[in-house]
Parts: sequence; C-alpha cells; structure tokens
Amino acid sequence: MAEVGPHGGIPPISVSSTSTRVNRTGSWKYIRPVYQDRVAPCNAGCPVGIDIEGYMNLLREGRDDEAMDLLLRENPMPAVTGRVCDHPCETHCNRRFFDEPVSIHAVERMLGDRILERDLPTPVATQRKERIAVVGSGPAGLACGYHLARLGYRAVVYEAAPEAGGMLRLGIPEYRLPREILDAQIERIRAEGIEIRCGVRVGPDVPWGELARYDAVFVASGAHQGRATGMEGEESDGVRSGLHFLKEVNAGGRPDIGRRVVVVGGGNTAIDCARTARRLGAEVLLLYRRTRAEMPAIDEEILEAEREGIEFEFLAAPNTVAKLNGRLRGVECIRMVLGEPDDSGRRRPVPTEEGQFTVIVDTILTAIGEITDLGFLPPDVHQDRWQIVVDELGATSTPVVFAGGDVTDSERTVAHALGDGKRAALGIDRFLRSAAGEPIPAVDPERYCLGPEGNISMTRWRDDDPLRRNSPVNEVVEFEDMNQDHFQHADRHPDHHLSDARTLAGFDEVNQGLGRDEATEEALRCMNCGVCNQCELCLIFCPDMAVSRSEDGWGFVIDMDYCKGCGVCAAECPRGAMVMTREGL
Amino acid sequence: MKKVIEGNHAVSWGAKLARVEVISAYPITPQTQIVERLSEMCADGSLDARYISVESEHSAMAACIGASAAGVRTFTATSSQGLALMHELLHWAALGRHPVVMADVNRALGPGWNIWTDQNDSLSQRDTGWIQFYCETNQEVLDTTILGFKLAEAVDLPVMVVLDAFFLSHTAEPVDIPDQELVDGFLPRREARYKLDVEDPHAFGALVRPDAYMEMRLQQQEAMERAHDAFDEIESEWEALTGRRYGAIEGYRTEGAELLLVTSSTITSTAREVVDARRDAGEAVGLVKVKMFRPFPTERLRRLLSGVSRVAVLDRNISPGHGGIFAEELRSALYDVPPDDRPTLFGYVVGLGGRDVTPTVIGEIIDGTRAAERPEREDLWVGVAP
Amino acid sequence: MSQVMIKDSIPREEHLASGHLACPGCAAPLAMKMALKALGDDTMVVLPACCWSIIAGPWPQSSLKVPLYHTAFETGAAVGSGVKAALEMRGNKETTVMAWAGDGGTFDIGLQALSGAAERNEDIIYCCYDNEAYMNTGIQRSSGTPWGAWTTTSPREHPKSRPKKDILSIMAAHRIPYAATASVAHPVDLMEKMTKAKGIRGTRFMHILAPCPPGWKTESDETIDLARMAVRTRIFPLMEVEDGSRWRFTVEHPGDSVEPYIRRQGRFRHLTDEDISFIQAEVDARWEVLERRVQYGT
Repeated sequence: MAEVGPHGGIPPISVSSTSTRVNRTGSWKYIRPVYQDRVAPCNAGCPVGIDIEGYMNLLREGRDDEAMDLLLRENPMPAVTGRVCDHPCETHCNRRFFDEPVSIHAVERMLGDRILERDLPTPVATQRKERIAVVGSGPAGLACGYHLARLGYRAVVYEAAPEAGGMLRLGIPEYRLPREILDAQIERIRAEGIEIRCGVRVGPDVPWGELARYDAVFVASGAHQGRATGMEGEESDGVRSGLHFLKEVNAGGRPDIGRRVVVVGGGNTAIDCARTARRLGAEVLLLYRRTRAEMPAIDEEILEAEREGIEFEFLAAPNTVAKLNGRLRGVECIRMVLGEPDDSGRRRPVPTEEGQFTVIVDTILTAIGEITDLGFLPPDVHQDRWQIVVDELGATSTPVVFAGGDVTDSERTVAHALGDGKRAALGIDRFLRSAAGEPIPAVDPERYCLGPEGNISMTRWRDDDPLRRNSPVNEVVEFEDMNQDHFQHADRHPDHHLSDARTLAGFDEVNQGLGRDEATEEALRCMNCGVCNQCELCLIFCPDMAVSRSEDGWGFVIDMDYCKGCGVCAAECPRGAMVMTREGL
Repeated sequence: MKKVIEGNHAVSWGAKLARVEVISAYPITPQTQIVERLSEMCADGSLDARYISVESEHSAMAACIGASAAGVRTFTATSSQGLALMHELLHWAALGRHPVVMADVNRALGPGWNIWTDQNDSLSQRDTGWIQFYCETNQEVLDTTILGFKLAEAVDLPVMVVLDAFFLSHTAEPVDIPDQELVDGFLPRREARYKLDVEDPHAFGALVRPDAYMEMRLQQQEAMERAHDAFDEIESEWEALTGRRYGAIEGYRTEGAELLLVTSSTITSTAREVVDARRDAGEAVGLVKVKMFRPFPTERLRRLLSGVSRVAVLDRNISPGHGGIFAEELRSALYDVPPDDRPTLFGYVVGLGGRDVTPTVIGEIIDGTRAAERPEREDLWVGVAP
Repeated sequence: MSQVMIKDSIPREEHLASGHLACPGCAAPLAMKMALKALGDDTMVVLPACCWSIIAGPWPQSSLKVPLYHTAFETGAAVGSGVKAALEMRGNKETTVMAWAGDGGTFDIGLQALSGAAERNEDIIYCCYDNEAYMNTGIQRSSGTPWGAWTTTSPREHPKSRPKKDILSIMAAHRIPYAATASVAHPVDLMEKMTKAKGIRGTRFMHILAPCPPGWKTESDETIDLARMAVRTRIFPLMEVEDGSRWRFTVEHPGDSVEPYIRRQGRFRHLTDEDISFIQAEVDARWEVLERRVQYGT
C-alpha cells in the first residue's frame, strides 16, 4: 500500500506486528503446577533401600552403566539378591494393578551378573582413620562393611565359618545360588576395601574384649540354632535340624536320609530342605500347620517345590515319632484348624482331636525357625528374648556396639539383613562423626529414608541423587495418582527354568533368570511411578506452550507468565509426578 | 485491433489484457458470457490464470479475496442476486484493502424475476467501500476494466465495473482491443505491499478494537479521496497510449446550457442524441455523464452544475422511501453551492427492470423540466401507469 | 513398548505462541499446535470466524508464527482455494494452505463452500476443530452438537433432539483423496494424519474433536481425558478414509461404556439412564456401520 498512515502509526489494515506473548495470560490462573517427585512403591517396599525406579529409568534411557552404579550404591550384592530375595518390591509394584508387576528381580539379576563381568572395584579414595569390627559375614555383616568402606572406613569382618557368606553360603542351596556367583560377589565386596577373616569365631577364638580396640562393633552373627518342634521323640535319630542338614549338603556332604523324608515347617528353610532332600533322591512330604496361604516361604519356591514333586500336607503338625527297633519309622500327626489371629496377624493353628494320621518316614527335617547364640556378648548389650535390641540405626544399648540381621528382631530375609547392615553403617557413620565433632549429614530420618517404611537410602544420606529428582517428597505414589491411559499392556517375561529332567538330577541353578534383552524389556515395563522420566507429556499437552525443556536438557520449566493453571499437565502426567498447588501459597 | 464484440466479451478482453491471475466466478444471467469466455481463455492457454468454478457468488468473492490476500491480481463478475449474495464479502474485500476488480452487469432484483437492466444491484453496494464505474459503451467497458485494475492497485481498493444488461452486455459494438504489450507496459504485474508470505508471516484481519478501528476506516476514506486524482493520472497515461479518455464525469454540450441532463450508463448515449437534436433546434440543453459513482465526484459536479438553471437527473434505480439515488447524491452535493448558483434539481425515475428509456421519454423529461417551476416531488416517475 | 513415549516422534518446533486467548484447558490451541508441528512453517492458515478468531489474538497480535488470514464465517474453504490458486500462479506449489474452522463454520454455515471446494478437489487441507457448539458466541447449538446436549439455544427442557451431523461421511462422499478424524488425546495419530495429508494433493479434510471446558461444563484439566474417552467409547472413532472408499480405524477402540463420558459433562447432566442407553445404542449401531465400511469399503 502506498500510504504510511499518520494516524498514530495505526496501519491501514489489521495486520499483525507482534506475537500474543505480550499477553501475560498466566495472570488468569488461581492454581499452578509444580513438579514434585514422589517415591515409587517398589522403592518404598525394598528393605535394602534400592532405587529400583531409578535404575529402571536409566536402563530405559540406555544408560546401563549408570544403572549398575545406582544399584551398587544401595545393594552390595545384586547378583545374589536378584536370585534369592523374596522381592517385596514386586508385591508393591503398581503395575500389578495394571497387568502384572515388573520382573524386578530378573532385571536386578541381569544387572548383578553384568556387574560381575566388570573390573574389580577399588577402595574409595577418602580414607578415614576409624576402624570397625563386624561380627559375621552374612548379608548384614557384608552390607555393613561394604557401606562403611564406601564411606571411607576400614572394616574387619570376623567369620566363624571357613568361608564368608553366612547363611547365603550355609543355608541357601546351590540350585538357588550358585557358589561361583556368591564367591564372585564376595570377592567384589572385599575389593571395596574390606578385610574378611574367616575361621575365626568371636568368643572362643577372638575374645570380645579384643574387639574393644575398634572404634565400633557391628554384631551380625545370625541365628543358627534350629528351634525345637516340641514333638515327642524329637531327639531320636533320624530327626534332624533342617538347617544343619542344609549346611551339610551345602558344604558338599551327601547324608543318607533314606527314601522317605518329612519336612516340618513352612518357611524358606523348610522348602530348601524339601527340595534339597528331593535332589538326594527322597520322596518328600512337607507338613505345615497352617494353610498354603499362610506359608512364609517365597511363592515361586513353593511352586517349584510342587513342580519337583514335593507333597504338602497343610493344617498338620507332627505329634509323636514312631520307632521300630530304635529306628525312626514314622511320625504321628495331628490336624489343626485356624483360630484367632496371633501377633503376626496370621490365624493361629489350633490342634483338633480328629483326623490324626501317621506317615511312614526315614528322616524328619525340622525347619520351624532358628534362634541366635549370643553367648559371646557382654551383658550390657541389652537383649530381649535372645534378640539384640537396637534403635532405628542399629545402635544397641552399648554406645559402640551396633547390631543387625537375624540377631535382632528384624525380618529374616536377605533383604532385611542387607538393609540392616546399611542401617548400622549409617548409624556408625553418624556415631563416629559425632564423636569426632564433625557435622552430621542428615539428622531427620525423613532425609535418609526412602519411603515411610524406614528403608535406608545412601543416596539420600549423601544427598547426591544422580537422577536429580524434582523437589522430592517422601511419600509413596499410589496407582490411583497415576494416569494409566498412557501405558500399554505388556506381558511380564517369565523366568527361564532348567528342564524338569535336569532339575532333580543335581544342584544346577533351576531359575535361569532372563536374557539381557528380555530383562531390558522388563525395565521398559517400569512405569517410573511418581518420578518424572522426561516423557514430555506435560510439554506436549500444554495448550499454552508454557512448558519447555530446561536449558541443561534435564527436566522442565513452566513459564508462569503464560501458564493458565488449567491442570492438563498434572492430569496427564502418567506418573503422578506433578501436583497443582494454590496460587500464591 | 478492432473487433465487433458484445459488452460481456469486452469485459473478458479487459481482464485478459490485464493478465488477471485468479478468476473465481459463478454463472448468472446476463453476466455469464464474461466468465464463459474467460474460462475458455484459461482453457486454451491464451490466458495464464487459475479459473475457480465456485459454487456461489459468495465463494467467488471469497476466493478472490484469498487470492488477492496472497498477492495476485483477481477478477470476478456477477449480476443482481449474485451481487447481493456477495454483499458481506464486498465489505471484507474493501476493508481488507484488496484490489479485486469485478464486473457487475446491472440487472434488476426479484421478485418477480427480472433479468433486465436496473442499477439497484450495484447501487445497493454503495457503502461497501468499492470504487464504482458506470460504462456507456463496450469500448469504455474494456478500457475501464484495465483502468480499474490500475486504480485498484494504486489505492488498494476494490473496483466495480458496471455495465447495463443487454444494452451493453449482449450488444455487439466495434471495440479497439489494445495490444498486450501496450497493456503490459501500462499495467505491470501486481506487487502487493501486504500479502500472505511464509517468509514474512503476519496475521491479517484480526479483531480491531474501538481504539484503532476508526483510524483504519479513515485511511479507507483517504484512499477513496486519493482515487479522484489517481484516476485522472491513470486516464492521462491511458490517453497518451490510446487516445481515449472518459473522465470521472463528462460534460457534453454544456456550454451556456440552461438545462443539464445528468445520466449514467447507456441512457447517456440516447440522451446525447436528444441533446444534439435540441441543440440543433436552438435549445440550451446539455448533458453530464457520471462515470464514477464512488468516490462521488462532488467537486467536479459542483463546478459543472453551478449557475445552471435546471438539472434533470435520470435514475434507473430507486431508493425506496427516498428517491433516485444519483439524484439524491447530487442534491446533497449541490447543497453547499451558494443559493444563487444552485440549480433546481428534478429527479426522474426511469427504466426500472429494463424498461426502455427512449428519446421520446428523454424529450418528455426535458420538456417537463423546462415547463415546471419546481419539481412536484423528489422522485418523478416517468412513463408509469398512474 | 509398554510405555507410550511419544516425545521422539513429535517435532520440537512450536508454531504457536504463548499468550493466546484460549480459555484454560481449551483443546483448540492444542489441536493447532499439533497440526502445525506436523505441517511445519511452510504453511498458511485461513481462519473463518470461530473461537480461534479470538485465540489468535487481537490486532496487532498473532499467536501463529505462520501467515494467517482471518475471514468471514462461511468462507474458510473458498478463501483457502483462492490463496492456493494465487500461490500456484506465482509458482509456489509447496506451501500448504490450511483452512481452520470450528464446527459452526464447517457443519453449518461453511458447509456449502466446503462442499464446493471438496468437489473441485482444491489443494487445501481443511481442518475442523469441533467443540460441538457455537462456543465463541456463548454455547449455541450447532449441527455438530450431539444428541441430548444442553446449549443456550437447546435448553435443558428441550435439549438437542437430533444426532450430530456425520461430517466425515459427508466429506468422504465427495471422494476427496483424504478425510480423517483425529483427537488431541492422540497426538501422534493426529500428527501422522496431518503429515500424511500434507503429502497428498487435493482436498484433505481433518475432523478434530476439541473438548471445551466452559461449553461442555467440565473441569479444565479433563480436556485430554474426555477426548480420550470419546475415542475409547467409539463416540468419536479415529479413522481415515482414502478416496472416499477405503475406510480404516487408526487406533484401538475398546468400546468402553459411554456412561462415564456422558456423566462427566455438565451439558448432559439432565439425561436419564434411558437417555444414556439410547446414546449407547446409537453409538453401537454406528460402530457396526463403520466396521462394515472398514471391511467392505463404500
């Protein structure tokens, strides 16, 4: 057009000369979105305190090495736990409401095995002067030493047995945990800078007083004495402690147990006994006084026991052994019914008069629990019912003494033992730093616990989360908080198993886990509950182009000048990692 | 090159010579031949243009607007109901300052159906912001079509070229068709100042609030005012090339006239005959032809009509409830003439719906005007049954 | 993959600026944002009267980073035809011309021009973002309004008594090369269709459902969820039709009950259980028709 309007610069037609960015439409809002990461239920459910969601996220991004490092921050022995942990993470996994839980154990196992292929680690550079004695090289003791070593302390582990590993070596059969895996794992832990002295029993070999030269002591000597069933004739030949039986076989022994074996109990030791006995050629009947539903053993282990031909008799308990010519011939059993719940919440079995029966048997293996032997401890370390009393960081009534694992009232799983070891390492760190007059990293348990169940997170303790979570709150994200529309169904990969023919032929590992690709696919099934995994849906669905990627490429920035507070981003966040908050609050 | 062609085809030739780039049209009698011929020209390659056969006049104008907004020269043609249907978009074209050129073949509006000439269709669009030219001959039609593009693009306003149904549209006359090179030199390819351009993206036509709307309207008005001089300059250029000039208004034998007829379109030709005869008879009668209706040539008309005793305006149209539209516009224009110089104005309504305006009718008008002291009423209907 | 990680299939560049004047949670800017991401910056937009006339910003603003022509209500397709013709006349055959209209400008007042353009097979993409009423003027009934819905001109006592006009079938019946439905809840599907449309010459028609929080009487954060439910319930199936005859579903439609979708919207609050059963039956019957078309073509 020829003219240039003198009319206040207004052009002759409606033609734009600026963008709508001149409108600060963000002023319309009364609520605003905030990125707020929460705790994934797997993490909250892991007694070891592993950042499972975190390593799944790293795996999804192809950052495998970082995933392994993140795993090793919290768990000294993923190749072991990937095999023998009862993986409460999976029972907590939100995906169970969607299709099936992620096979976390298989992913952990894959990572654990890949870690074993790495070069041996070297001790951390910063070394502190304090030394700590650890009594017992089971998972609790090794975990404590491992984390102390990583915190720069020197730990010396005393182990009564000829080789390290505690119950992992003594109690868990090879078909669940091949010894080369355990050996390799312990070798790596040792390489972190831990000294392990085997064949040395505290008490007889090393008096308690000798440990006084250490700056702290962690007691994790475990529970090794089989508990008596109370049946008549329990002391007879042919009635054995299941744990002793396992120790013998695990050490290479092949005891004569006859053709017919009865195992008493419903926990993992009972199942291990039954399956081990089966491999020695016996027909095995397992007696359990409650029902299948109450069995504390890992469900897969029970299933595999069934597959291996072990018979189960539920609501039954041995009452009297029957002998012929002084030799065990059978066991008379009584029937139970379930009564009122007991302290553990399970319904208490109550004997009945009817339905008694007799089983012909050559060997009875009792596996109804183990108790500690803490005779070496001085009386000032307070105990309660043969268990050491500890606080939330493993400290006993004696200042320098800490304890964890089966010597305490902790749950008797590998995971809890590993968690206890870490808990005590953290307690010892706090104690020693405090004694040295140093600042203590995090005093409030909220700052070092992952989730409300008190699992210890070294990452939180050290406050160096490599995943840079957004203003995390220590609150577990529920499935209902997530937008499941952004997930697609994907079948869980079942573990591979040894063929039936090979299973009973020896002690080869039965569960073969998943291949690397399969396990990676499982990692992709992870929904990263509660944690932003950079999926960008907030940005994609923002009607106002108010969301953009951070300049450093990690996370997002919301331009409050333009966010109208519609809430679409938070509603569409698949992970419940965004919340809407009142404007001005 | 001289050819004997109908008025409709004179339009087609004008558009072709203007190298119009997008034509969008819809058939309606008596306009149809214009676009038929253009579609043939596009089809045979003699005209390099896109011809869009839209489904309505409304879309015809819409497509022209779109094409014009994208920077090309656009053309359409219509009549009567079709023009009425376009009404909304006539405003859009004008306020968007799109230099669309359109031929309107004047035709009466229904009901009842009437396909004959009548100016009410185009005059109903008086306030849409279009420049309007009324043509007397097929030569003028062709020339005005070309001049229309030049003017439209000079002031960024749309131009309507108006011709009478049948008297021009379907009447063959010898027409000098200028060479393409001549027209190309006169009317180079359109280069729009504002256009849709992905390299320089802007939004056009967004909401304008009261604080800016009037300024844009005022600039439209200023462009209309500039069109007076711009048309003079363009005609001078055309005259130098072709020897032909029409003028926004034309005075015919006005010297010493006591009575001037004011006409438009083909009535002018008939009136010329009558004026010649009366002059031969010694009567001081002349004629003013109004070619440019918008912008209205107020000043020129005042100059020409001041001091004349009587003016008789022949309107082939009616603004119901008021009067003939040219007459009313002229009355308004002459209001500022000092009373002593202000002619007495007689407004005659003639020829609606294609009724013949014969020399006899015009003669009666002259006689009546001379005989009366003052008009009996503002609208004097001629030749109708009482 | 079990997680939908769509970010890598979505272009980063934004062609729509913040500060536009859509209501909070409006799907219309989202639809435009996604459409333009697929089409890129060699695009011109023709915008007849609709909510977007406001969203684009008043003079001297524009929320689009591509050229935009505001035009009269019923002229989207015709103006688009003209723009395209002009570009071609100046030797530009590449630039995509997209008309962007609401349901009123498409189903109602603009249908004639749209039909004309489609019949001529004008080389334009015509997008209807459908919020199912005249929302910009304050929620009046359009022929895109679904059966039973309240609007300010179909009050609760006399809600709309006729079904929503089947615009996709109407457009397919023109035998245009490409016609499709899309949803803001399915960005990848939407963008794939836009990309496909961009690569085709001739008239391409896109029908995008655009939930409207004020008009549907829903919360602003429900927009995507409602759009998704409309697909899952088969109320708004995602389809494409090539040459008017080859019909195809482009996503899964589980066939969820329509009831939660209806009950979440205030505009349907007055509907009885019987009314909802009627809607369900209509949706089911319509689905059978579509399945037959997918199977046998038309």
